[in-house]
Amino acid sequence: MSGLAQFFAALGELATPMGLFHVAWATLLGIFVGSLPGLTATMGVALLTTLTYTMDRDSAILVLLCMYVGAIYGGSRSAILLNIPGTPASAATSLDGYPLAQRGEAGYAMALATAGSALGTAVGILLLVMLAPPLAEVALEFGSFEFFWLAVFGIVISGQLTGGVSPLRGYIAGLLGLMVAMVGSDGIHAHVRFNLGWDDLNGGIGLIPAMVGAFGFAEVLTVMWRRAPELVGRSADAKLKSRTLPRLSDLWRYKFTITRSGIIGTFIGIIPGVGEDIGAWASYAVAKRTSPERDQFGKGSQEGLTAAETGNSAVVPGALIPALTLAVPGSAPAAVLIAALFIHGVRPGPMIMIEAPTFIYSVAAMLLLATLAIAIFGLSLTRLFIQILRIPRAYLMPVVFALCVIGPYALTQRLFDVWVMFAFGIIGFVLRQMNYPMAPLVLGIILGDLLDKSLRRGLTLSDGDLAPFFTRPISATFVVVITLSILAGLPPLRRAMARLMPQPAGPSLGDRK
Amino acid sequence: MRFDTPLADRVTALLFFALGASMAIGGYQMDRLEIRQIHPASIPGLLPMVLGAALMLCAVLLAFEASKPSARAAQPDSVSWSDFLVVLGFCAVYAIGMVGRVPFGIATAIFVTVFVGWFTRLPASAPRRAKLVRAVLSLVFGCLVALAISLLFRYAFLVRLP
Repeated sequence: MSGLAQFFAALGELATPMGLFHVAWATLLGIFVGSLPGLTATMGVALLTTLTYTMDRDSAILVLLCMYVGAIYGGSRSAILLNIPGTPASAATSLDGYPLAQRGEAGYAMALATAGSALGTAVGILLLVMLAPPLAEVALEFGSFEFFWLAVFGIVISGQLTGGVSPLRGYIAGLLGLMVAMVGSDGIHAHVRFNLGWDDLNGGIGLIPAMVGAFGFAEVLTVMWRRAPELVGRSADAKLKSRTLPRLSDLWRYKFTITRSGIIGTFIGIIPGVGEDIGAWASYAVAKRTSPERDQFGKGSQEGLTAAETGNSAVVPGALIPALTLAVPGSAPAAVLIAALFIHGVRPGPMIMIEAPTFIYSVAAMLLLATLAIAIFGLSLTRLFIQILRIPRAYLMPVVFALCVIGPYALTQRLFDVWVMFAFGIIGFVLRQMNYPMAPLVLGIILGDLLDKSLRRGLTLSDGDLAPFFTRPISATFVVVITLSILAGLPPLRRAMARLMPQPAGPSLGDRK
Repeated sequence: MRFDTPLADRVTALLFFALGASMAIGGYQMDRLEIRQIHPASIPGLLPMVLGAALMLCAVLLAFEASKPSARAAQPDSVSWSDFLVVLGFCAVYAIGMVGRVPFGIATAIFVTVFVGWFTRLPASAPRRAKLVRAVLSLVFGCLVALAISLLFRYAFLVRLP
């Protein structure tokens, strides 16, 4: 059966009344999570994972993907209305969205953001269906040597692109994640490492408690620490007087921007651990460089807004490409999705096209349903989202923390996981305030086992000889790319590159997702 | 108080160096499983040694970087350390002190009520009746949240609550 036929077959299977019900509530919840500053897509997916244990596989993955897509889209609401990005992915959106809102065009800005997000995800879905199966085929050629370098590549590139001013902090975050993964039984000889005499650590540190802590509890602390004003006053209603449906003529005018931003976002998503915020900034920067109305960027440009929203939403399908085919997450929420896939009996990685040949098409169909849902909700429920933004943080945060406590506990029924969540919340808070990005840390926890097993298996196969790590064609390619990436991070080269390619102003990238 | 000062970087560099050294030494001293006759290149301590060394190197570079002047992110508009400590205290008492010792629903109701009550409290000069209404509202909200979360996890997700 061709890919297209499999895609439509999957769509037919999912489009049941129960399936559509799941799409509706999960996407709505995702938009809710994304639109509230302080609740991020990663946190939403991590918390929702704990609510999907009893669901069947397809329903569970469907609601998690809907949460992911909805949350990334939802961040645009507060970015446009309040100049506060709901998630960091929407930071670029606020540059033009908020000036549009100040001109009384908030409704139209949200309509454009909705259209951009939906079309960006659609471009990403198309590329997911086109690229994932051949990438899985290529990945079948990977042995221990290649997987070792793939894991190193993931940490290096993620640290490089999310480290902000200096990649060093990104590298350190990645190393800390890898160290966390060293705790517990090793994957080859089942020898218990670094349990500090604590039996609860024999099984290692769970990804879900660590993520819920680093993204959930750390957010609760951050939101309450920063004396954020209450989010929205009555004036927001006045910003909504404009048209709330996008004009087709405008979408046609920006067709090249949408297509280009969709492609850029998807390819940014494919890069391990580099998420939606960088997809948005990269798309925005390219649009600014090529647009005839570039002088309007930052002052309420519809094209800038469309580019940013298309770019961040296209990252979602892009991030799933390596997650499904290599088990290497393209973004922080995708890392949680990998853990959820394992929980629900799907083994992401090169064998996915053999073990579950239709699964990639099912994921594409799920993403399409989520895209339709954000388009419908986004265009019809604008006023409801204003009401959501009125919820005071004092009421919201204790509920979030109660879910942070019970969610990780529900998976293993161990109080120890609640303590892990708590510890990672404090560590995550401190590291974030010190400008250490969280994405490489998460990637490190995910890739630690792969790195460890691949290194030791490779050395066993080569009888201790390091040469195959450098001489096999794919390994050699990885070595060259990793070396170039590290060299590009050296201060003199970074300064030279910055002079050649000026970046738009924005907050540090990759901080939270 | 800022977390991103050169002093903070130097202190963390020291901590990271110690952590890296601990992991490298721990990896070196780890059982090499000779008794199981494993390949010497597959000893469990191999990667921890490499990671420990890499973190030590990064810590040294961080210390050097901290000695150079650099642009720092802007301080958040307004932060409240007292709010932070109160939240941290509430969360610690709830997650570490109460959950597992007190039934989950009761612990959650107490936590949410106290949290909401504290952060929505009225000034001392407010009328007593208004304060009482606010306290009752916090209690009702706390009980409803606890009930909803407990029922959801107990009956919808079949989790035996702590």
